Amino acid sequence: MLETRNVCAAYGPLEVLKDVSVQFQEGRLTAVVGPNGCGKSSLLKAIMGFLPVSAGEILLQGKSVPSIGRRKLARKIAYLPQDCFCPDYMTLGELIELAGFSRYSLVGGPTERDRQLFKDVLHTVGLADRADFPVNKLSGGQRQRAWIAMVLAQDTNVILLDEPVNHLDMKYQFAILELVKELTVNRGKTVIAVLHDLNLTTAFADEVVLLRAGSCVTSGPVGETVTAQNIEQVFDFRTQIFPHDGRLVCLPELSASTAVS
Amino acid sequence: MTRRALFIWSALPLLLVVLCVHLFSGISLASLPGSMDAVLRFEAQSYEQAVLLFQRMPRALIAAYVGSVTAASGFVLQSLARNPLASPSTMGVNAGAALFLVAGALIFDIGVVFQGVAALVGAVIGFLSCVAVSRIAGRQNDPRGLSLILSGALVSMLFTGITNALLLSDPARRSDFLNWVTGNINHAYIDRLELFWWIGVLSLCTFVVLARPLTLILFGSEKAASAGVNVPLVSRLAFFAAVLGAGSAVAVCGPIGFVGLIVPHIVRPIMGSNLVVAIPACMITGTIVCLLADLFAREALQPFVLNTGLVMDLLGGVVFVIIVKRFYLSPKVRGANV
Repeated sequence: MLETRNVCAAYGPLEVLKDVSVQFQEGRLTAVVGPNGCGKSSLLKAIMGFLPVSAGEILLQGKSVPSIGRRKLARKIAYLPQDCFCPDYMTLGELIELAGFSRYSLVGGPTERDRQLFKDVLHTVGLADRADFPVNKLSGGQRQRAWIAMVLAQDTNVILLDEPVNHLDMKYQFAILELVKELTVNRGKTVIAVLHDLNLTTAFADEVVLLRAGSCVTSGPVGETVTAQNIEQVFDFRTQIFPHDGRLVCLPELSASTAVS
Repeated sequence: MTRRALFIWSALPLLLVVLCVHLFSGISLASLPGSMDAVLRFEAQSYEQAVLLFQRMPRALIAAYVGSVTAASGFVLQSLARNPLASPSTMGVNAGAALFLVAGALIFDIGVVFQGVAALVGAVIGFLSCVAVSRIAGRQNDPRGLSLILSGALVSMLFTGITNALLLSDPARRSDFLNWVTGNINHAYIDRLELFWWIGVLSLCTFVVLARPLTLILFGSEKAASAGVNVPLVSRLAFFAAVLGAGSAVAVCGPIGFVGLIVPHIVRPIMGSNLVVAIPACMITGTIVCLLADLFAREALQPFVLNTGLVMDLLGGVVFVIIVKRFYLSPKVRGANV
């Protein structure tokens, strides 16, 4: 299990995480939700060790994450940054192969087992016929699936995704999150994803962490955390939240001036 | 992929053909078997065999060394600086090596071995000055490493200016160095190759071992670190190997400009950005380019022999313009390409 205990972190004088304590459940999809600049990405960066933690602990199976070496950590946690760019002319097959770096020896390459895994991964994301295709020539939705494939090829139990459905249209947003959800259900992966859309969150996430101004307002199962009261507290914004077809739906309330009579 | 397959199948045969032309052009076919014998036994029994053994073979070896090491270093520097204009000649490495070698020879009267050491030290100092100037100019806000290239140009100009001043101040001995300072593949430099070849071999081995982590760094340092790369260590090792490798090439035959700049741009569209395949491709292509440049320098304007460095500068100048146009002046064209 991945856990943060009273984590504080700052970019210079700017405090971005204040006393954040969250337990991320194994085999579940946890959505990290909050307004822009509330520290969602910073939380993932702190877990990965890209943002120095000034106080508190980050534990993976009871072991302090910063004490785990880069190579070893790469076999336990995979991370997809918010804006990924791929070097020109790189093919999808090469991208996937690079992801297994932490398992290769100094001069060795992928083993037979790795190659089988890469095949499975491409099949899982539905790009099995695209291995020799340059990543930068894939469509937006395909490219996002390519990044997910790179993360999967790292073959870790924990996966951190920073806004994995940004810049995608509705159809691809659902397709990507369905794929991610499937990973938790069928393969027992622990996924932590930064999401913006509350309706996507309630549709796919098992657990939610609500952040506001660097502090964790509340966390827990979707049904208990996503309430009109909590959402208003976090976003300063009134919503109606009601169950529909077995999941919660968030409907923002329009302000009086913009409401159509 | 087809372009890639074509390259993989044709690169080595092409290298072999260029090498044969380089070695045997002008030598009559009838004497070829005997010439081969001379090569294998290191004994010359005729004028032609002596030319082959003591002029062309050394030139070919130097061309192979300079071409492979400088081109691979250029590819690594372009990857690390994330700038298509990065290369030993644009980042102060070549100018630094030239300055220290000339200064050492003219002021302190050092011998060939220490000239080589001076060139290596100069390469490192040239590169570090380039980094220092770009830090002062604010490299932090420069994702594409442009200030690094501009500082490189600045440092190169300064160092080249001092080198020229030193040469001008010593009319008696400057002619010894004029040939070297413009960069020349010359059989006379084979003893320098004998001294310094291992440095280039070490750099190339470093590149091969670091090829995967270096490719991952292309995705950004956070993505690379999350995949298990020790980014600061790998970057430093690679910079060091690239600078020393390129410096050793300068120590052998002077700054052959632009091999490190243009060869990566020939290789990348064909083999891609993955250093695992691009480094060997750069080594082969660099060798071919240097052999061709030397062949051209030797044969084009007979009986005059051109300076290889000048031929490469001419070629490089043209490619430089194409790169600037493609990568900097027409972002839309570039956007359509990716």
